Amino acid sequence: MGDSQYSFSLTTFSPSGKLVQIEHALTAVGSGQTSLGIKASNGVVIATEKKLPSILVDESSVHKIQSLTPNIGVVYSGMGPDFRVLVRKSRKQAEQYHRLYKEPIPVTQLVRETAAVMQEFTQSGGVRPFGVSLLVAGYDDKGPQLYQVDPSGSYFSWKASAMGKNVSNAKTFLEKRYVEEMELDDAVHTAILTLKEGFEGQISEKNIEIGIIGEKKEFRQY
Amino acid sequence: MSNSAIDVPSRGGFSFDLCRRNDMLAKKGVNLPSFRKTGTTIVGLIFQDGVILGADTRATEGPIVCDKNCEKIHYMAPNIYCCGAGTAADTEAVTDMVSSQLQLHRYHTGRESRVVTALTLLKKHLFNYQGYVQAALVLGGVDCTGPHLHTIYPHGSTDTLPFATMGSGSLAAMAMFESKYKEGLTKDEGIQLVVDAICSGIFNDLGSGSNVDVCVITKGHKEYLRNHLLPNPRTFVNAKGYSFPKKTEVLLTKITPLRERVEVVEGGDAMEE
Repeated sequence: MGDSQYSFSLTTFSPSGKLVQIEHALTAVGSGQTSLGIKASNGVVIATEKKLPSILVDESSVHKIQSLTPNIGVVYSGMGPDFRVLVRKSRKQAEQYHRLYKEPIPVTQLVRETAAVMQEFTQSGGVRPFGVSLLVAGYDDKGPQLYQVDPSGSYFSWKASAMGKNVSNAKTFLEKRYVEEMELDDAVHTAILTLKEGFEGQISEKNIEIGIIGEKKEFRQY
Repeated sequence: MSNSAIDVPSRGGFSFDLCRRNDMLAKKGVNLPSFRKTGTTIVGLIFQDGVILGADTRATEGPIVCDKNCEKIHYMAPNIYCCGAGTAADTEAVTDMVSSQLQLHRYHTGRESRVVTALTLLKKHLFNYQGYVQAALVLGGVDCTGPHLHTIYPHGSTDTLPFATMGSGSLAAMAMFESKYKEGLTKDEGIQLVVDAICSGIFNDLGSGSNVDVCVITKGHKEYLRNHLLPNPRTFVNAKGYSFPKKTEVLLTKITPLRERVEVVEGGDAMEE
């Protein structure tokens, strides 16, 4: 940040008060593959489509859902390489927090720090905003939590949310299907149904990815 | 950068400017205060299914025992543990730091950490600080390439051995190992030998004492036996407890409350911004 030739930010205000680069970043997110998350009473589930550009791609090497700590996982919509960079930074921050305070990082803290990184890139010289929105799912002593982080660096806590291509359909579906005090298994079921709604072609275990977090554990399944 | 009177190192790390001052003071007879060392007997050996590490539990500050039951076997990774001798702060900080780095490495690679990875991270750090980080370590673990045991010296050199001892009690412990170690020990024989070696250090070295900690690491499994043996129990505790006689008798108690003198000034000056 700032060690490039540019000392001025590329993200500048338009006369109407908008940051056009961030709007464009959100468009990039909106054309990415659908991902969604649902918070249940005893856990969180995140899921995403995993459509590969060709059948020749080794699908077992592609991991769209990553774990940041043993009890926090993340999924994205948008640009994969930007996601990798953010995951790396978040993991490092989580480790640093743990080294300093000797407690596992709370979900809100990690979300805050990741969002701060994303915001930095909208104000620093010579860099562009991240073209990803993240869904961070975690389980700590405050219970299960689901956060969405946008390219601008703003974050929101959701009971259920979707991002990417089919966002409006998916969100409507989720609004209808969401029940307070939903159990984790129902949430997984609902997540898969929601993905199926917007899916082009046959849904199978090889072209979706699911991450589930119950108490203090993060699983990944296909 | 503006002109400043103080020379700041351009990158992080230690600044050794004060070492010259300390040397000069030492020549004049003013010595550094002694720091908390672990005295210590730490051992490790490879047995047929993996690695066993052992340590005593005494921490000394010069001639005083400052911790009778400290933990010298540090966690590095689920399959790697490290015993530390030398300055307690140094061993703890360095093992903590490398443990953190190994965790990040595991996330990035998606694989179990290897013992040589921990070894290289540790020796790089220690060599970087040219021996000023006084940590002598016995690193052991089991990874995909098999069981490994290494010793790391404060200046950054390492050895790879089937059995190893470090610390002030290392000679006592090594005497036990040299006479009784053989290849292909079973787990119980291994634990017994480690316990014998540590006990030899506890009873024959002043810097080591109290209890024995043992850690057994095998493929996919570890057992941390904290205080596996307590050969120094506190046996003579006075059942009646201790009461100290009163020094002087109280003859008279008189309480004089101090009179308050408070002045209230109306409309004083506003506080400066």
